[in-house]
Amino acid sequence: MTQPLAIDNLTAHYGTTRVLEDLSLSVAAGELVSLLGASGCGKTTTLRLVAGFLEPTAGTITLGGRDLTKLPAYRRDIGLVFQNYALFPHLTVLDNVGFGLKQRGVAGAEREKRARAMLERVGLATLADRLPGALSGGQKQRVALARALVIEPPLLMFDEPLSNLDAKLRVDMRVEIRQLQRANGTTSVYVTHDQEEAFSISDRVAIMHAGRIMQFDTPEVLYQKPANAFVARFVGFENLIAMRVVARDGANVTAEAAGGARLILSQERMGPIPDAFVLACRADGLAVSKDAGAAGLPATLGLRTYLGRAYQYQCESPAGHLVANGALSTPLEPGVAASLVPVAEQCCVLGVE
Amino acid sequence: MLKRFAGWTLAAPATLVVAVFLILPVAATIATTFAEPGGVFSPYIAFFNSGFRRNVLWRTLQISLATTAISLVIGFFAAYVVARAPGRLKSILIIAAVFPLLTGVVVRSFAWLIILGKNGILNNTLTGLGLIAEPLSMLYTQGAVIVAMVYLFVPLMILTLVGVLENIPEDVIQASSSLGASPAATFRQVIFPLAVPGLIVGAVLVFTGSFTAYATPQLLGGERQMVMGTLMYQRAMVAFDWVGASTIAAIMVVITITVVLAMSRVARRLNPMAT
Repeated sequence: MTQPLAIDNLTAHYGTTRVLEDLSLSVAAGELVSLLGASGCGKTTTLRLVAGFLEPTAGTITLGGRDLTKLPAYRRDIGLVFQNYALFPHLTVLDNVGFGLKQRGVAGAEREKRARAMLERVGLATLADRLPGALSGGQKQRVALARALVIEPPLLMFDEPLSNLDAKLRVDMRVEIRQLQRANGTTSVYVTHDQEEAFSISDRVAIMHAGRIMQFDTPEVLYQKPANAFVARFVGFENLIAMRVVARDGANVTAEAAGGARLILSQERMGPIPDAFVLACRADGLAVSKDAGAAGLPATLGLRTYLGRAYQYQCESPAGHLVANGALSTPLEPGVAASLVPVAEQCCVLGVE
Repeated sequence: MLKRFAGWTLAAPATLVVAVFLILPVAATIATTFAEPGGVFSPYIAFFNSGFRRNVLWRTLQISLATTAISLVIGFFAAYVVARAPGRLKSILIIAAVFPLLTGVVVRSFAWLIILGKNGILNNTLTGLGLIAEPLSMLYTQGAVIVAMVYLFVPLMILTLVGVLENIPEDVIQASSSLGASPAATFRQVIFPLAVPGLIVGAVLVFTGSFTAYATPQLLGGERQMVMGTLMYQRAMVAFDWVGASTIAAIMVVITITVVLAMSRVARRLNPMAT
């Protein structure tokens, strides 16, 4: 049942504006892939192209060897879950779920049996005869999920399905979605702007920006080894410090930041370092040391905020504005001269773009 | 308490106007029909015993139901096009649809006299093209009245339906097609049922309007196509038969209410959300 999805060299325009540029993406059978990005990045456009609501200017979409590119939406056999649920307001919950089966010519009794079984799975068996207007947001989204799953589509797509729910329900629902998707082994594409949601639910995530995929990998790799400055910023590397190598000594590299501060970095711990690079550090990966002479970047501490696990300092340094975390045991006052020491395991080296 | 009082106060002027100028006169008019010396229902028995008047009632029903049905079909498809049109084109189309409403009923009915007359535009065109040898007599037929009334009421229908169709969310239609419904199936199972409340409102407006119409049937139907409105006028103003006219009025009220109730029953069956 489950099939791989391949998107090849997809380009799309709205009028004369290009919204998607030569986008390629492959989703393995049974895999859940998220498209993650801010609004306008092209993630929803990609979903609409795959669903058949938009026509690409170039490129192909293939699902399990079947070329979908020219097929009308109603022949594509894709289960869709919408942001606003998009339930049929004039049909009962049961008829909403049975709608796709009806289009497939499944007869009345069999249709009702299957729709009821699916409602049972999403925990809504008792609400079968209600109209959607009488349901809560979470219940509506469960109906939408049941309606998309009951047709046993080879591909499921979610368009920001949880963004209209409150925070607690959002977390519960995404676990539920993931469990149902795993149990059915349905290939899935999940569109969201919420990084936590994407990382927690997906096998792989494609981070998108301006109609292109910036990086496509597992959440772990994206979080720890971003491939470029955009992804690094997106996944929370507050500090991107431009540096160049001034000396190499075996595995150790001496690099200089703007303002002349030098750091000795180990290629054994950080991977190969090119002559010009960007050092990306989260605030946690830049330790504040009182000792202004320590082997780090000299900086003057500014505003201090309390994070619970650490103090965070806004710092001014010759290399620019930096954000660093310091120990709770030694709160430091604004104006203190300190040294910011990169923690190799929590930093990464990016090429210059 | 205060809130309820304020509510009543605000509604009072309108309630008073309706009570004094609508309910009382209608009640008084209908009351006279039950006070005849010949018996409580004698005016009604007289009405339904007259073959001529039964014919008038039957003709009026035919004309108004045909007008309603044709307006529904034309109006629905026109409204569908308008509702799906992009921004600017949509405004232009709505203005075009509403434009006829800016002139009076009499003027618009008169236009059809010019179009359908013996020497009218339509006859001249047809003879000019050699399609017919003799001018057709189209005036003073049931068809002429229906055509003119459809023309009169379609804008009303379009306006009612555009609002309803615009309110059907795009993603509901997309959901339908993603679940495998062809455009025709989506239309039948989603768009049409969701438009039913609007269709009923439009149908009620057009039916009551065409059932009680006076000017259009008078101008285009004349004596030969007498309807309830023109018959009532004749009874009251020509024959001074006030009880007869009141009887006709009462029958029209009952029929209108019956049809409206029947339509909302149909609406509930087609779409459980409709009230």
